[in-house]
Amino acid sequence: MLELTELKKNYGEITALDGVSLRVREGEKVALLGPNGAGKTTLLSIALGLLSPDSGTARLLGRPPREALAAGRVGVLLQDAGLPDDVRVGDLVGAVAGMYPTPSILADPELEALAGRRVLGLSGGQRQLVRFALALAGDPRLLILDEPTVGLDVDARRALWRQVSDRTVVFATHYLAEADDHADRVVLLSGGRVVADGPVEEIKALVGGTEVRLTLDTMDEPGLRSLPGVHAIVIEGTTATLRTGDSDATLRALFAGFGDVRNVRTSGVDLESAFVSLTGKGA
Amino acid sequence: MRSFLRFEVRRAMSNPVNLVFLAGFPVLLYLLWTKVLDLASGPVSMVSMATYGAMGGALFIGGAIALERSSGWLRQLAVTPLPAHGYIVGKLVGGMLAVLPSVVIVLAAGALLGGVRLPAGTWLALPLLIWAGVIPFAALGVAFGYSLKGQSANIAMMVAYFLLAVLGGLWLPVSRMPEGLRTPAEYSPAYQAGSLGWRALDGLAPTGTSVLVLAGWTALFVLLGVWRYRSAAWR
Repeated sequence: MLELTELKKNYGEITALDGVSLRVREGEKVALLGPNGAGKTTLLSIALGLLSPDSGTARLLGRPPREALAAGRVGVLLQDAGLPDDVRVGDLVGAVAGMYPTPSILADPELEALAGRRVLGLSGGQRQLVRFALALAGDPRLLILDEPTVGLDVDARRALWRQVSDRTVVFATHYLAEADDHADRVVLLSGGRVVADGPVEEIKALVGGTEVRLTLDTMDEPGLRSLPGVHAIVIEGTTATLRTGDSDATLRALFAGFGDVRNVRTSGVDLESAFVSLTGKGA
Repeated sequence: MRSFLRFEVRRAMSNPVNLVFLAGFPVLLYLLWTKVLDLASGPVSMVSMATYGAMGGALFIGGAIALERSSGWLRQLAVTPLPAHGYIVGKLVGGMLAVLPSVVIVLAAGALLGGVRLPAGTWLALPLLIWAGVIPFAALGVAFGYSLKGQSANIAMMVAYFLLAVLGGLWLPVSRMPEGLRTPAEYSPAYQAGSLGWRALDGLAPTGTSVLVLAGWTALFVLLGVWRYRSAAWR
């Protein structure tokens, strides 16, 4: 459905993509997960032919991206796409659906209620709903969504994901929870590279969990690493940062086994800091 | 493509801003010239102002393109099956159709408020001649639309609009201009567009020169537009 090979892209000095390859098969739901600036939008723009890579190739449904879009079986929701303000929602959605060989209009009560309104007066969430309706207007086999739920309330999010359920989907997000709920495969992007790619559970173990910071005057890395639940460890001088999937067990064993441990602090892991440990780059 | 064309035509026809801008302002100017200041003859001024309004409508097709380029609507269209040329065709057709009613309104103001009396055939020919005469400005507008973004395009086009209209003798007849300006004025697109209607008032067909000059400007502006389109980052 989607095949990216060794994509590289620089914006001047800044490397947006540094050799990314990705293959998405029919029926998969893939989340592109990464902090802001990880290269998610650049990756999707190249996959859609909106941007040319410096090197590497992109193919959509087995063809060059532009041809695949022209054939009308790909639905796209872009993050920065605008809508004309002066038209009515119903006319807009109808006109875009009419461009596709298989027109389809999203059956959603909220969208139907907006049909007679002009785009100008819509809220951010309502606009996003309209954009989503435009993405589905061709009854697409493949959906590509860039940060699809930004600005949507809980109900609208649920409605959106229900529509998506029986299609191949690639979506970018910076919420781990969203990837967890709606993807069966997660591709972690950081600094323009794929740092992990696998089933949701695997990625959650890598980036989820709790972080334990501690000070130990006589550092014992193998000892810390063998504590229950610990799956990653970073040592800087007398300070160690452990990442654990079971903080209770880890702390119990820590206090039992290391009498001189000091300054123990725990915190939930956010995505940004998880990337730091995965990529080994300091923030 | 057909769907987009219908959408654009409907959009252009239901935009009240267009009518106020393209017909209301020229009608006011027409009344000012002929009734208040008594500077110009009724029929000539009527044709000049109808041409002036139509010229603005054609030119500001580019303003719409510039706005939609910066609002991101073009990015959205780029991921639909609509071909890139389909967008320009839709804008041109919708924009040029929206010009027609504004021309008719200015002419109607001439007949009803200005007391202009002409043979029926002339009344029929005038809107078509004026409409055809402003085609080069639609091409120029597209070139502007792909050169500048958002509000800056509109400002640049306002300036071009005003200068071309004045140079073309739509505000004051070319015969009242300083000697040195007359020749460039007569080869300017607005003058030739106006001359189609001015000659029709006397029952005369367009001259070969008019047709050639207008075709020349159209060709030049189309080339300019194609060049600007190709170099625009976002189509």
